Formats: sequence, structure tokens, C-alpha cells
Amino acid sequence: MTLISKSTNPTKNDKVHRVLLGKKQILVTEDEPLLIQLERAGIHVEYQCREGYCSSCSIKLLWGHVSYPFEPLAWVQSGYLLACCAIVKSDIEIAFFD
Amino acid sequence: MSYSTFNRKHFDSMKEPMFFGENVNVARYDQQKHPIFEKLIEKQLSFFWRPEEVDLSTDRKDFQRLEEHEQHIFLSNLKYQTLLDSVQGRSPNVALLPIVSLPELETWIETWSFSETIHSRSYTHIIRNIVNDPTKIFDDIVTNEEITKRADSVSIYYDRLIEMVNLYNTMGMGTFNVPGKGDIEISMPKLKKALYLTIASVNVLEAIRFYVSFACSFAFAERTLMEGNAKIIKLIARDEALHLTGTQHMLNLMASGKDDPEMAEIAAECQNEVRQIFIEAAEQEKEWATYLFKDGSMIGLNAQILGQYVEYITNVRMQAVGLETCFATKHNPIPWINAWLVSDNVQVAPQEAEISSYLVGQTDNNLDDSDFDDFDL
Ligand code: FES
Ligand SMILES: [Fe+2]
Ligand SMILES: [Fe+2]
Repeated sequence: MTLISKSTNPTKNDKVHRVLLGKKQILVTEDEPLLIQLERAGIHVEYQCREGYCSSCSIKLLWGHVSYPFEPLAWVQSGYLLACCAIVKSDIEIAFFD
Repeated sequence: MSYSTFNRKHFDSMKEPMFFGENVNVARYDQQKHPIFEKLIEKQLSFFWRPEEVDLSTDRKDFQRLEEHEQHIFLSNLKYQTLLDSVQGRSPNVALLPIVSLPELETWIETWSFSETIHSRSYTHIIRNIVNDPTKIFDDIVTNEEITKRADSVSIYYDRLIEMVNLYNTMGMGTFNVPGKGDIEISMPKLKKALYLTIASVNVLEAIRFYVSFACSFAFAERTLMEGNAKIIKLIARDEALHLTGTQHMLNLMASGKDDPEMAEIAAECQNEVRQIFIEAAEQEKEWATYLFKDGSMIGLNAQILGQYVEYITNVRMQAVGLETCFATKHNPIPWINAWLVSDNVQVAPQEAEISSYLVGQTDNNLDDSDFDDFDL
């Protein structure tokens, strides 16, 4: 899926973080939410609303830090993140179902 | 304690629990104990749509060209959805309004239930368009055994809670003999438990049961069949995503003890029962999938794949309410469904752009090519 590309965003910042997922490692920026960057890397993540209100994109955050530009309507379980709206702020490790 | 439509007591509604505190008196939204419900109301209102805005003229022709077993799949789903939304259009109101104690939650319940009535109206719109005699379809909902089985499992928790709250409001606490039902014990823990299980079963209804029908509707649309129907289902799915978030919040708030410490104990106590509600519903939905495909499958979907999807989505939903997942299916067997479930608006970024198109006049029934990018069966 290539839905939104905000590469022309003027507030672009160049910070790059590593996302560990099992044995994979994906590089992401702070310009876009995690979901779209995972998708670009060919990783399928469950989603529905892509706006933070359905919780379908909830994935485990094993360690590291993410932030939300707006507070999602969906409940965020502790130890989880909502990929569609989370901005990765440090190197992180994530996991799907065990 | 009998219900009052305008409680005369002075109390601070910011200190009330979500349920079983004071009856709400002033409908005020300037302050909220749980602001999430106010946000859900606003979001739901921004989603407002009318079924008649979706053009179904090509669906009629499509339907006539479907093979008989495909018509069976399509109509059975429609009947099941009609049943589910009939229940949802009234039950949150009937079951929860007499016991709710926060104005923002009360209004969320009403807003939520109202949106279900739009879903019901859209089924009439769809059915009228594809068959000459809607009565035959509607009548079958109360006679067809496969459907009525479903009706029992979706209404049992609601009905039990309603019965207990009725007793509580007329008789108070105690054990009462109800003819035909035996002794029913009414105590606060029993009432709270009935409530907690009801919310869990509603979450299952909206977050799992509906998705089986969604999958079938979108599988037709993947073949460019019944696309008007798919547009409507997309709008319904958007509403349901919000509703399931509402019940997830209720369940999680209850379990956290942040709202009502006694509720947290009850939530912990019935964790196993709640797990069982999820698992049983998944099994029932898999059975339903077998019934749908009894005379033949459709391209891209059969009972086995749909069963796997049920297991997968059940895992997703269990995780969202803090339950351990229980099925082996860890991957979505029909990943293309998400491209249908997503609201169009995110593809154009600013959210107003699309919503206004639903408000102004009729939505075009012709999906443009870009709607089909990026996925195939
Ligand atoms: S896709 Fe709905 S919350 Fe992320
Ligand atoms: Fe509904
Ligand atoms: Fe709903």
C-alpha cells in the first residue's frame, strides 16, 4: 500500500531510528507514522482506520520510545503502540502476536 | 433504587462511576470524568451518513447474475447483519441507559445506538434494491434456524442484564423468584458482573461477528460485484470501528479500577468467562462460515479461509482488551480486506474532504480504478 507520501513536508527532520522486528531491522524517520514506513518496507501490519480510532494496528512495543502527535481515540494498552499514528522517537523493538 | 428521568439529588457527576452510581440528571458536557466518550460522540457525529446517498442501481443487475450459492452467501450475510443491527439499535439504550451515571457516557450510548439504526435502514435500502419482495428475507430472520441460533447468542447477556436491572429497580436487593426462571439473586456484585459480561459480549458482536459479513461483502466487491453494497458496508465498518473502541474503553476502564474499584475485582474474577465469550463467539462464527459456503465457495473466500480470519481477528480483539490471544492464526489470511475497511478519507489526508461528499448528494456508485490498486486475490 502506498497511500500518503509526505516526503515534501517542510518540517522534515532527519533523525533516523532503527526498528527491530524479530530478525529484521527497518530504518524509520520521525516524519511519518510507523505504519506507513513498515508497509513501505514490505511488512504487513493489520489496520483499519489509519487514524487512531480502531486499535487494529496495535503492536507490541518491547522497548524504546514513540510519541503521538494527537491523542488517539483508541485505547493504547501499556506495552503496545498504535502503528498508524505513532511517531518513533528512539530505536525501538516491536513484535506481533507471540 | 428506582430509576428517575431527572434525579433531584445534588452530587458531583465527576465523582460517579460509569455505571450503577447516581442516575444522570443534567446533560452537561462542559466537564467530563471520561473525556473519551465526548470525543467518540464528536467523531460519530462527524461520520453521519444516509444510506440513500449510495447508488445501488448496478447491484440489482449484479445480484441477478450471481450464482445461486453466491446469492445464498450474500442474502444470509444481509440477514445476519440485519439481526445484529436490530439488536444494537435498541439494546445499548434499553440495557445501559437505566444504569449509566455519567452524562458523556449516557450520550455516547444514545449516539452509538442511533448510528445502528442507520445501519438497519441501509439493509432495507439494499434489500429493496435487489429483490422484489423484501418480506421474504425479513421473515426468514426469525424462522431460519441458523440465524435464530445467532440471535440467542447475541441477546442472552443483554436480556439477562435487563432482567436483573428491572428487578433491582422495582424490588431492590435480594433473591427473587421469577416464574419460569427460578431464583434470581440481585446484589451489586451480581449486577456489575452481568454488566461486565454484557459489555464483553457486545464487544465481541461488533468487533468479531460483524467482520465475517464484512469479509464476504468485500470479497464480492473485489470481483467488482455488488459495489454499492460494499460502499455501504464500508460506512458501516467505519462506525463499527468506533463502537468497538467504545466498548474496549469501557472494558479497560472497568478492569483498570480507575473508574470503580469494585468493578476491577469483578473484571479480574470473570476474566476466564470473558475469554470464553470470545472463544465461543469465534467458534460460532466459524460454524456460520460453514453454513454460508455449504453449497459452494466464492472466488477468494471459502469456509476455511474465513474461519482463519475469524481466528485472526479474535486474537486482535482479545489483545486489545488485555486478554491473552488463543488461536494459532497469527497472520491475516485475507490482507486485502484492510484496503476496503479503511475510510477513504485517509487517502486524501484532510478528513473533511471525504466526509462532505457523503453529506452532499449521492455518492457515485462507480469505484474508480485507484480503489483497486494494490491488492488482488
Ligand atoms: S489503524 Fe485504526 S488505530 Fe491504527
Ligand atoms: Fe451497526
Ligand atoms: Fe455498532
